[in-house]
Amino acid sequence: MRTEEKLYTLRYKKDDKSHLAIKDVNTCLECTAKYGEPQPCVSICPANVFSWQNNRIVIGYENCVECGASRIACPYENIDWNYPRFGKGIALRYA
Amino acid sequence: MLDYDIVVVGAGPAGSAAALKAASEGKKVLVIERGPEPGSKNVSGAMIRKDYVTSVFGEDMPFERNVETIKLSLYNGNKPVNIEFHPEGLVTTGRLKFDKWLSSVSEKAGAMVIPKTTALKLNWENGIAKSLTTDRGEVSAKSFVLAEGVNSLVSMESGIKGDWTPENSVQAVKMVYSIKKGDLNTIFGFPDDNTGMSWRMIMTDPLVAGFMYTYKDSLAVGIGSPIKELVDRKIRPEKLLDDFLEMTGIAEKVKGYSLREYSAKIIPEGGFPDINVAKGNVYLCGDALGLVDPLTFDGITPAIASGIIAGEAAVYNYDKEIYRYNLMKNPEISKIAKERKLETDFMTGNKAGEYINMVSSMLEGWASGDLMGIRNTMVSNYRNLIPDLMTFVMRMR
Ligand SMILES: Cc1cc2nc3c(=O)[nH]c(=O)nc-3n(C[C@H](O)[C@H](O)[C@H](O)COP(=O)(O)OP(=O)(O)OC[C@H]3O[C@@H](n4cnc5c(N)ncnc54)[C@H](O)[C@@H]3O)c2cc1C
Ligand code: SF4
Repeated sequence: MRTEEKLYTLRYKKDDKSHLAIKDVNTCLECTAKYGEPQPCVSICPANVFSWQNNRIVIGYENCVECGASRIACPYENIDWNYPRFGKGIALRYA
Repeated sequence: MLDYDIVVVGAGPAGSAAALKAASEGKKVLVIERGPEPGSKNVSGAMIRKDYVTSVFGEDMPFERNVETIKLSLYNGNKPVNIEFHPEGLVTTGRLKFDKWLSSVSEKAGAMVIPKTTALKLNWENGIAKSLTTDRGEVSAKSFVLAEGVNSLVSMESGIKGDWTPENSVQAVKMVYSIKKGDLNTIFGFPDDNTGMSWRMIMTDPLVAGFMYTYKDSLAVGIGSPIKELVDRKIRPEKLLDDFLEMTGIAEKVKGYSLREYSAKIIPEGGFPDINVAKGNVYLCGDALGLVDPLTFDGITPAIASGIIAGEAAVYNYDKEIYRYNLMKNPEISKIAKERKLETDFMTGNKAGEYINMVSSMLEGWASGDLMGIRNTMVSNYRNLIPDLMTFVMRMR
């Protein structure tokens, strides 16, 4: 089963403001030179939030399952990781 | 500005225990929860000790099934060594129902719980927190309990603790499959809808701690694996879970049943006692202190135990050394602190592999009748491992 299909099982309310951001795009270039692809954030994320497109990390924050791993996996602490606001984001039922 | 005696961040087991304790002592307590309702952001297995929870929160705890059997499988390559226990007092539960119930008990004791609200930061004056800023406004209090779980953003923002590192944290992913009660009973040979089992697995290369729990009408499966190892080897956690399901034969069992929910959460492996537990009038508890065993996944009991102690500390405004002492004195908490070293060895060294090799070579020797061989291997290679192995097996129960 594809990750996207797994994510369809989740109830989700979108916050229109992204709760995740890359602090400095140049750091990601340095990271890619050192660690190659997939970068640590791309490979640890269980929800395909991060992807490498045109030499920068693109964040699909609406996929986020709020696990916390990318913030820790990034060797440069380059992810500004927050919670979605006002109770938005995922709403689990059976976990 | 709203004003309370005590503000608790997080309505998980730690936060609800703290709120219950403080409200029972007559304090005006506010609990801030970021989820649309308590439990909606939380992930566990979960297998919990019913008696312990009941001793704190009272009767009527919602649960899925009694755990009549725990099977522990140590995988060496594809073939596992299995050990079975028949525990008492363990049940499975899902977090939404469980956390909602915990929170409702704290409300009955007088606490006020506000969901859909994210705590952002504490505002300090001379080392004392005066108020808490949330995404819906500010609230002041005499003391604060940070029961915000593993992603403890407020504690970190306040400089009370640093973040976990890839070396001391585990990535966990979980899936729940819908399986009708009757089907589930047939698959596992359960006599009725209340009987259930837990299956715990340990695999090496990469190190994986896995679980399978039976709910009433569904099956919960998941794995945890050290973040460092996953990142270094570029292993995707969801792929690892898929492989795990194949290897354990669970994939075969759930074939034709639909996936009900997918989730993930990190698990801390370091923390208490090597961590700040408080600052001024602000007390940390539960996963925010790293009070969970990443191998057995036992975190709810110590979360509740530390929550009560934090609630008390907040009521009496204890000094942080007294708070630390009280935490250390609690058997549920000191157990984790004591086993930290074993745990670290296990997660970062190759202890897991050594245990599993030891057990399987012992069993092979046994099967081939080479008892002298077993004795020699044990004495020469594994003498130091045996006490650790026994501790390990005991704590998996
Ligand atoms: C896959 C997995 C399986 C597990 N299995 C088991 C098991 O079988 N048995 C067991 O005992 N333990 C298990 N655990 C561990 C257990 O889940 C944790 O140890 C336990 O939940 C910790 O409780 P807590 O109250 O400290 O934190 P949490 O349960 O994480 O609660 C923290 C609460 O705070 C809220 N919050 C966080 N930040 C904010 C903020 N800024 N503002 C407002 N609210 C906030 C969250 O939404 C959440 O409700 C498992 C963990 C995982 C990941
Ligand atoms: S791991 Fe960090 S630095 Fe590397 S690409 Fe991802 S966000 Fe950028």
